[in-house]
Amino acid sequence: MSSLAVKDRPGRLRKEPSGGRSPRRWPGWLTGWAFVFPAVALFAVMGAYTIGSGLALSFAKWNGFTPTWNWVGVQNYLDLLYADPVLAPELRRAGWNTLQVMIAVPLLTVVISLPLAVALNSVRRLRGVLRSVYFLPYVTTGVAIYFAWRYVLEPDGAINTLLRSLGLGTLSQPQGFLGNPSTALPTLILVLVWSSVPVATLLYLSGLQAIDPHLFEAAQIDGAAPRHVLRRVIWPLLRPITAVIVLLGVRDTLHGFQIFLVMTNGGPGGHTDALALMAYRLSFFKGLAQTLGLASALGWLLFAGAVLLTLVNARMLRRVQ
Amino acid sequence: MGSVRKRALGAAVALVVGVVVAGCGGGAEEQQGGEQTLKMWTFKKSHADALNKVAAQFKSETGITVSVEAVTPDDVFVSKVQSAAQTGGLPDVLEVHAGGEDLEMGASGLLQDLQGDVDATWKQRLLPTTQESGVMTQQRIDDAASDSPFKSTKAGQRFSVGFTAGAFGIVYANKDKLQAAGLDPNTPPKTWEEFLAALKATTGKDSQQGGLSLGLKVSQTGYNWVYQPLAHAYLGKDRFHALFAKGAAQGFASPDGVKTLDVFSRLTPYWMPGSTTLGIDEADIAFAQGKSAFDVGGTFTLAFLAQNGLTPDKVLTFPIPPSADGVNKEISMSPLALTGLGVTATTKNRAAAVKWLDWLTSPKGAGAVAKESLDLPATDLGADAESLLGADLAALQKYFTGPPESAYDAADVSFFPSDYDQVKPGDLMVRLSPLQEVSPQQAGTELDKIMGSMWKATE
Repeated sequence: MSSLAVKDRPGRLRKEPSGGRSPRRWPGWLTGWAFVFPAVALFAVMGAYTIGSGLALSFAKWNGFTPTWNWVGVQNYLDLLYADPVLAPELRRAGWNTLQVMIAVPLLTVVISLPLAVALNSVRRLRGVLRSVYFLPYVTTGVAIYFAWRYVLEPDGAINTLLRSLGLGTLSQPQGFLGNPSTALPTLILVLVWSSVPVATLLYLSGLQAIDPHLFEAAQIDGAAPRHVLRRVIWPLLRPITAVIVLLGVRDTLHGFQIFLVMTNGGPGGHTDALALMAYRLSFFKGLAQTLGLASALGWLLFAGAVLLTLVNARMLRRVQ
Repeated sequence: MGSVRKRALGAAVALVVGVVVAGCGGGAEEQQGGEQTLKMWTFKKSHADALNKVAAQFKSETGITVSVEAVTPDDVFVSKVQSAAQTGGLPDVLEVHAGGEDLEMGASGLLQDLQGDVDATWKQRLLPTTQESGVMTQQRIDDAASDSPFKSTKAGQRFSVGFTAGAFGIVYANKDKLQAAGLDPNTPPKTWEEFLAALKATTGKDSQQGGLSLGLKVSQTGYNWVYQPLAHAYLGKDRFHALFAKGAAQGFASPDGVKTLDVFSRLTPYWMPGSTTLGIDEADIAFAQGKSAFDVGGTFTLAFLAQNGLTPDKVLTFPIPPSADGVNKEISMSPLALTGLGVTATTKNRAAAVKWLDWLTSPKGAGAVAKESLDLPATDLGADAESLLGADLAALQKYFTGPPESAYDAADVSFFPSDYDQVKPGDLMVRLSPLQEVSPQQAGTELDKIMGSMWKATE
């Protein structure tokens, strides 16, 4: 390889004959393109084409089968936002639910994972075992675990049984925690928090280990209590990581629909409907009606929301650094 | 160095060519030694198993090999067909939902017109109410939105042939629980009020496991399987249709509509705990496991219950009973085609595919499939029904007949808006019962708004 490199270098200094590439050099040029072609093609098809096609589809009506699309301009966006008397209220309700989840999940994740990371960072014995235990939900999370949670939360599930056996029957839910409109969404939020805490804890742990231990010692010498160390030293230094955790939580909430689909399907009575679930439903559960364009438009609205939140997050990051 | 470069170039070109060839290879026709091979997709696993079994018999008679693949659940089936339609990878035959999906696919150019193949003799084999399933009507075309693919079709085009048939709104009762509650396990309730009294007795005996199970996680089940037949019997056909009419002069918020919603909402105390969190199959399984005394499903539910350990001799079946205060004092469920068979537009084996459809809808083929799948066929099996389906499944057919005015025909969609979507009224019905978030009057007003917006979408 090195001889090839050395041999080629002088060639670069030679002046190219007018009229284009040397006939002797084009195979090399072609070789390069042949190697990068799969990657370029993959990006062109899976990236550029898909994005462009999705954007175009958001301005059309299509059921996924007809050879042609019916162009409707921005009507899909208008229908979603206010024009359609059925879709617009559905979007607002799903948006309100999504907003609640978007705020609650990152907030609770930070509130739980930061103290947990600090505690795990300070323990000396069984540190590895404890970290594994707390990381377990992330390893096992997914569709299967949502089904498991459903069994735990149903009327005769483990949580109701436990509450009744502890004499706390008044806290049990006769219709199950997912069957009661007032507990369904909070329950989904808690399951989402349960699955997001491990990664957040891991990020905080890595951040804690990067902090100079002398800072802690200095604070302790100055008489700072542990809560003051957490508030005045650790929290400011970990703020960039907090911003990342919040952004990840917001992103997951905006795009994730599996938990809503598997655990409640948006029910009971639409009380846990979310924007991503609505997009999924518009795509595949409309009896072949021409709603793929609406689904795409909703996807782009979510994308716009995600970009906006990313910009806000980037601004926050710049401010704290 | 030149040879190295050539080898590298050769490898890169071979890789690219290989990728391209592999990418284009999926849709290749399988023809081995002149033997015809058909591919078929269905969205029902039980049907795929049964069809693959009977395919051997079909091959021995015709020499045509058929390979059937189940693509489940429904949303995955739809997305796979969508993808295959774009990439030219459709199979030769599709089993699709009858009554809408078949017409959508046909109108979109995915299924061929079988009008010339399905002649009068072929149609005569089918149950009377399933003979025109899969056929585009002028009313469907007229009612469709201006940009609907239906507008490009012609009345009379046939995009599928009825394959399986049945009816929704069949109640299953656990005989042991009826007996334990002091009820006669062999006498079905004749009226809605008697049904509610039976529910009161079973939930009185066992409040946790004596109720009614239904997969309300799929919210339209309560609306479609219970409310609609109940309201149809209560109001009679014309006033029932008026509930959905454009303008809602006699809509759901009218005294008629509110009364029917009120009658339906009397179920509220008797739902099985957690019924809003259960899917359709999960509710059936809960019933089979003894977690409820009653279950609402369709004729197809009996086989599923048997698969889950509740044998037909342990259940009492009856259609949703009519209210004593209503117009119709009896109710019968017109059997509708639940699924249909279509030949894809891209098949290169049209003749063989039509032959396969012909065989499957013949008494012989339909009987063989029915025996394997325990699903009622759209083909009239006549006197062989009991021997092929078993006495219990065949007995369900007695609910298919009754006075014409009392027959509830779920396949009649002529009075709905063309973009009718059951999920929205279904959600509202769940909020009425069991959630009790809206009163019958409020539910009626909301339902009128929903219907109004669907009519608006067709303009």
